[in-house]
This record gives sequence, structure tokens and C-alpha cells, in this order.
Amino acid sequence: MTFSSLVLTLEDSAEQRAGVLARLERDARITLGMPFEERWLPVVVETETAEEGESVAEFIRDLPGVRFLDVVMVDFSAGEC
Amino acid sequence: MDRRDFLKTTAMTAATLAASRLAYGQAPVAAPPVSSGSGVKWNKAPCRFCGTGCHVQVGVEGGKVVAIAGDPKAEVNKGLLCVKGYHVGLALYGSDRLTQPLLRKGDKQVPISWDEALDIIATRIQKDPKGFALYGSGQWTIPEGYTASKFVKGGLGSNQLDANARLCMASAVTGFLATYGVDEPAGCYDDLDACDVLIMWGNNPAEMHPVLFSRVIDRRSRGEKVTLIDIGTRRTRTSAFCDHVLRFKPNTDLAIACGIAHLLVEEGTWDKAFVEANCAFRAPSEPATLQGKAITFEEYRALLAPYTPEHVEKLSGVSQKDLRMLAGLFGRRDVRITSLWCMGVNQHTRGTAMNSLIHGLHLLSGHFGKPGDAPTSLTGQPSACGTVREVGTLAHALPGGRVVAEEKHRHQMEDLWNVPQGRIPAKPGYHTVQMWERFSTPSDKGGDIHTLWVQVTNPAQTLPNRHKLVDPSRKLADKFLIVSDAYPTETTRIADLVLPSAMWVEKNGMVGNSERRTQQWFKMVNPPGQARDDAWQLIAVAHRLFERGFEGMKDRDGRFLFEVKQDGKPVPIWDFAHYYDVNVDAHLFEEYRKTTRIKHKDLAPYEEYVKARGLRWPVVQQPDGSWRETRFRFSGFDDPYVEKGRDIQFYHSPTHDGRAQVWFNPYEPPPESPDDEFPFWLCTGRVIEHWHSGTMTMRIPQLQRAMPSAYLEMNRADARRLGVGNGDVVTVETRRGSLELPVWLGGRGEPPEGSLFVPFFDEKLLINELTLDAHDPFSKQPDYKKCAARVRGRKRKEARG
Repeated sequence: MTFSSLVLTLEDSAEQRAGVLARLERDARITLGMPFEERWLPVVVETETAEEGESVAEFIRDLPGVRFLDVVMVDFSAGEC
Repeated sequence: MDRRDFLKTTAMTAATLAASRLAYGQAPVAAPPVSSGSGVKWNKAPCRFCGTGCHVQVGVEGGKVVAIAGDPKAEVNKGLLCVKGYHVGLALYGSDRLTQPLLRKGDKQVPISWDEALDIIATRIQKDPKGFALYGSGQWTIPEGYTASKFVKGGLGSNQLDANARLCMASAVTGFLATYGVDEPAGCYDDLDACDVLIMWGNNPAEMHPVLFSRVIDRRSRGEKVTLIDIGTRRTRTSAFCDHVLRFKPNTDLAIACGIAHLLVEEGTWDKAFVEANCAFRAPSEPATLQGKAITFEEYRALLAPYTPEHVEKLSGVSQKDLRMLAGLFGRRDVRITSLWCMGVNQHTRGTAMNSLIHGLHLLSGHFGKPGDAPTSLTGQPSACGTVREVGTLAHALPGGRVVAEEKHRHQMEDLWNVPQGRIPAKPGYHTVQMWERFSTPSDKGGDIHTLWVQVTNPAQTLPNRHKLVDPSRKLADKFLIVSDAYPTETTRIADLVLPSAMWVEKNGMVGNSERRTQQWFKMVNPPGQARDDAWQLIAVAHRLFERGFEGMKDRDGRFLFEVKQDGKPVPIWDFAHYYDVNVDAHLFEEYRKTTRIKHKDLAPYEEYVKARGLRWPVVQQPDGSWRETRFRFSGFDDPYVEKGRDIQFYHSPTHDGRAQVWFNPYEPPPESPDDEFPFWLCTGRVIEHWHSGTMTMRIPQLQRAMPSAYLEMNRADARRLGVGNGDVVTVETRRGSLELPVWLGGRGEPPEGSLFVPFFDEKLLINELTLDAHDPFSKQPDYKKCAARVRGRKRKEARG
């Protein structure tokens, strides 16, 4: 099990922001925190492997409505090393 | 709370703190993640990789690093990390760590004991101490660099010590010395939070210093206006964020800087009051010296006269409109301008001159000394400043900004080290390129370096023109190469003796980043096998020499040069079993700290760094006993060494009158330019995923997968003309060598027509076999950014298998 903590910077459009939240809430691997100023969104991704975590992060990064994705922490205690 | 819940809560806490930082641009009051109920223990450390100096929280469980978090208490990165930073813990756990000493016997390297290894080194040194050289790194910790300096200069009575920062920062040093009389930036990263205009000179911080760059981009996300200007020779990730992207022909950056200065002077928009109060003018002398010659303002103006917008456009390719735009910004008093630069300006045969010109533009226009108004040179390595530049692990230098050429400086260090006067020679040792040339030259033909010990760097991959500087030594029977490293590298592969090193949080450490910030961490896990601290390796050899009666390793009273006492009794730190009986780092640092005052680079006691996420020097004790760092050097409102009542004071002025020097340096053609035979410019550099030669990052699966091998960037028009497609393999050739590389078109970067780019991290594709070893006359730093090349041959992508 691997956890990644991310911060998303969302776009200005309220419609796009709502779309991002709706899409992420449907994924059981993703837990959303409380957004700051409606724009900066803390996110935790829980995956079986670090590689899967990377793919989820890539997927999120490419979502319309996500301007930036910052990775804040990666736990790799059960990962490959 | 079970382990899963704990880890998830910790992850969410880290993300929430970082989001808070991004939203409000200030430090959250909450604590960083701490253990509660879980076995994970968290402690602080600076990231192992670049010169930014981000702090991480390192999670350790069961004697192993298991998690990394950005440190929200750290002012540098405010809880954020780049792709390398958040994987830094995995750098310890590559499957092929070096775990025991290896000695070359014939074609093989065979295991030997540490005892044998120490004997071999001591014997080679004893035979001819003057022919021994130590080649270190800006990745040495401060105590390691200090140990190296004391070992070579104080112990062996030699100046054959240099470091790989010669390849990355030397021209920044000479630029600072020529301008201010003292090294390192006046400003700091706070300038990035206050500037209205950020100019990046040949600099790609979006990939090379991403956390600093995101600090500026985040300001834009919060609605602040910051104008970004990219002045470079190829499109990079940074260019994509910039309001103005100016492409110039390689080597013509000097013409651009002179062109801006010309416009400031001719249009009368230079800051007369600032210059009259704080500056003098300077130009190159005959013969050339770092001090040059004094000139008047009118002479300066006359020297700039040829650099009209028309002439500069012709030389550089930058339009007159863009030149006027830059001059217009520098001429305004209502905006604050920060300049950033790094290897694009430093790895340049005119590196010193170009560094001085950027400083000169800021001084001439008065964009200096206020938050947001600063010329800031960034460093590449985590302790290029702290170790190489401040400790002085260079052939001409001594700790604390001293130089071997000054008798007073030599005597000060001889007294501190308690060694006989006259121990330190006045003549500098060999700079990096010379050192390796001498090592690769037969002894009977002037090659007077017979033994070279490399620590924490990989010169077989990173030196220029390797065929000339490195390979010949491997065919000379009396040349002996010792390499200390954590992993097998191109340099350990060709070494005679390989020593396994502890790395990062496997040992105590201190480093100094780009903004004068000194940082500390403690050992958190044990190194694997017999891997040991680099400082211990030096101290153990020193003690082996001491045991054999070698005079250099005794002080004036006959005691061991590196003696450390506890409760009045010497601790046998040369025996690794006892190395951590005391905090050797703290002892070495406290000794080194005494040397830092003469250049007003005062450091606080070790314990102050234990409490902080780094402190920026000068760190000066206050009347209440606390220690205060300095953010804006030479500025009266912040720097305690500026006389009261003065706004600005350059108190180490090269002319001893409180004035900084505004230099004129002319454009000159480069030593090698494209021609009919070699029609392309070749530039080399880094990528975001990999740190330098990839020794650590290529062992991190996530980073290796993301960028598995080197490639050739070329312009689509050139590719079309040569009939080359994405993924095709071509041969890149220069006058020094050739290399087969896959082509990447339209990738993250794109050179203009007639230019090529190749990253240097890949040990299987050694681009430095092709680069030029021509170097700056003052800094001796080689130019990796431009030489002439050609592209030939082509294998279709599918043929690569």
C-alpha cells in the first residue's frame, strides 16, 4: 500500500472546478481534503503500488480544470526499493 | 489508529499544510507530521539533490527511511518538493550499493578490508605527498570539505585540492569577487516573492530549480502580476510560462548586456544617484586580471557606444524592440527586478565577464538592495556555496574566504590548525582541468600527480573532453585512482581502489544553499555493509599516516591533527566503531566557524542550526543572546555590518572604498563556432528527473522510468532537412568524439534551427566525451554549453529493437 499526498491548483472556472471534484469523488483510491479559497485542493491517493500512484497522479494532472499538481509527500514503506 | 489510517492521516496533513501555504503564501502554524502510535519517526533534513536547499521531513521506521514529506516549516520550499525531492529517500536503497572496499587486480576489482585500503592510500601518500591530489565536490558536506582542506593543506602541506564546483560555480565566484570583492549573492529567495519582473538569463528554473520557480508561478495564481522574461538559446519548460521569450545566438549574451547598458546610458535612465553613491567603473586590463582597470563614466560610455540596438540585434538575433523593452524595464524605478542565472552563464568561456555584466546592469540601474531588486546567481549543488565557496575546497583557497597567496591568511590557518608556520604553500595547486591533465600525463613528461582521490562526484562522466583528461591515466602504470562513492559509477568502474561511502541521512551533515543558508541534519539510519562517512575516510587515512610518524598529521604539540576530546580524553574517531561516540560534525563545524568572520560570513553555533531549517549568514548574536540571520546583504535596513545611516555599503569593495564595480566587458567570438564541417551548436545540461550524472536518481525506479536514457533534441526544420524522425538514432560528432543518440522532436525542450541539446545524466551515453575543454581565463570553468557539432547517419526507430 502506498500513499501520495498531492495539492491540486484548480482553474478559475467554477464549472471546471466542480467537474474535477465530481470526477475525483468517483475514484475510491482518492480522498479529498477541504479546498482553500476554492482553488487549492489537498488530495491523498492510496494505491497498491507506487507505479499505480504515479498513473493516478498523471491522470489527475491531465484532467480539464487542473492547472497544477504538486506532490507533497510519498510514502514508499511498502513500495519497491 | 492502525498503520494504514496513520499513514493516510499523515499524508492528508501534509497536503493540507501545503495547500494552506499555496493559498495564503505564508507559514501555517500547524506542526509537520509527527509520529503518534505508529513506529515512524520524523526528523528534518535538507534534500540531497540540488542547490535550492529544500527541507524534507524524513520518516524512519525499522532502521529504514520509509517516507518523505515536504517540510512545511521550511522557508525555502514551504512544504513543497519537486519530483526528485519526494523520491529522495529511495536514493539510499538502490540494489547495487557499494558495501566494501574494492582493489583492482588485473581486470577485476576484488574485495579488500578497510584496513588494507587505508594502508594502500597512506603508502602512496607517504611516498610522495606532493603528487597526491584530492578532487571533491559541492556535494561534500561542510564538515567533510573542512576535513579535506585541513587534510591536504594543513596536513600534507600541499594545495592539490579542487572540487567539481569548478565545473559549475567558479565563474559566479569570480564575478562576485570582481564586482563586490566578496563571494555570494546579496539577495535571497525572498526576492522571488517581491519582484515585479523576473529575468532568467540562460536559466531553466522550471526544471532545474522547480520549487523556486513554482514560488513565482504561485504568486500569479493568487492574482499577482509578475512579468517573466526568458533570455536563452532554446525553448524550455520555463519558456512556456514567460511573457517574453528572447532567443539569442550562443555566446552573444555579453552583447545583449552591453546593449542594455548602452541604452540606459544614452537614454539617461540609469540611476545616477545610486551609482554616484555606491559604484565605480571598470574595464579589462592588459594583461588581463580579475581586478581589471579603473575607468571613468565617460570612458565606460565610450566603450558601450558600439553596442547600439542595431549592432546587438545583428550579433545576437534579439530584436531591437526586445532590447529596448529590457532597457525600458531596467530604466524604471517603479518596478522591482530580480535576475536569475546558473549554468548558462557560468559554463561559459566568458563566464566571469557575463556574471559581472549582469551585476553591472543591476547596479547601473539601481535595481539592487531592496526586496525584489537583486542579481541572484543560483547554485547547482546542495553545498557548492557552503562547502566549496565558503570552506574553500579549491586549489587557491583556504577556509572563510582566505587565499593561499596571502601570507596573513596562511598564518591564520596555520595557527588555527596549530601546525608549523610555512606548512601551507603560497602557490595555488592545480585547478580541475589542470589536475586531471597532470594525472593523465606520464610522470616523465610533467605529469606530477600520481595519485588522485575522488569523493562524492563522478568526473569520468562530468569532466569535459574525457578522452584527453581522464582516459590516458588509465593506461599509465604509476597512476592510481581512488574513488569514494555510494554506487558504481563510470569513475568507480575505471578506479584502482573503490571505497564505499555513506550518504545523506546515513551520516550527520551540514550544507549551504544558494541563498547563504547553512542547514544541518542528523544521521537517521545506518549505511549498508561497510559503507562509511567520507570525512571518516579522510580522518582514518590521516591517522594511519600519524601512526607511521608522518610529521604533517601531527600538530605543533605532536598531537593528531584531527584529535577530538570528550571529558578531556581523546576519542578514537579514526576507528569507525567509535566515530559516532561524539558528534564529529559539531567539533569540525565549531572549529571551522572561527574562520568565517573576516569576510563577514559569520555562522552561529552548531546548536542553532539543529533548531532551525537553516540560517542565512551573516548570523549575528543579538544583545538578548539570540542569533539573527541576514536576508539582504549590504543593505542598511537588514545587514548589521552596514554602517548606521547608510542605505547601501559594499564593505568588501575591491577598491576598498565601499563601492561595487560596474564592469564593461566586450563581446568576443567563442573559441569554437559552427562551420561547414560541423554546422550545429551543441549544448548540454540537466533534466528535471535526474541529478547530475544520475548516480542516485537512476537508482530510483520512478525517476528512471520517467527518463530512462539520454536523447538528442533538435529543431523540426533541421530534422526534416536531414530526413530524421522522432526516435531515429543518429550520430552526433564533434572534433573530440561521437555518440549515437535517439532523436526527440518537440519534446519538453526545443532548440532553434542549427542547435542541438543533449542531457548529461546517462552513463551509457557520455556526451562529455564530445564537449570542449576550453575554459574561462579567470574561473577556469569549462564551457559545456557550446561547441560545434554535426549530425550524420540514421537508423529508423524500429531498427533499434
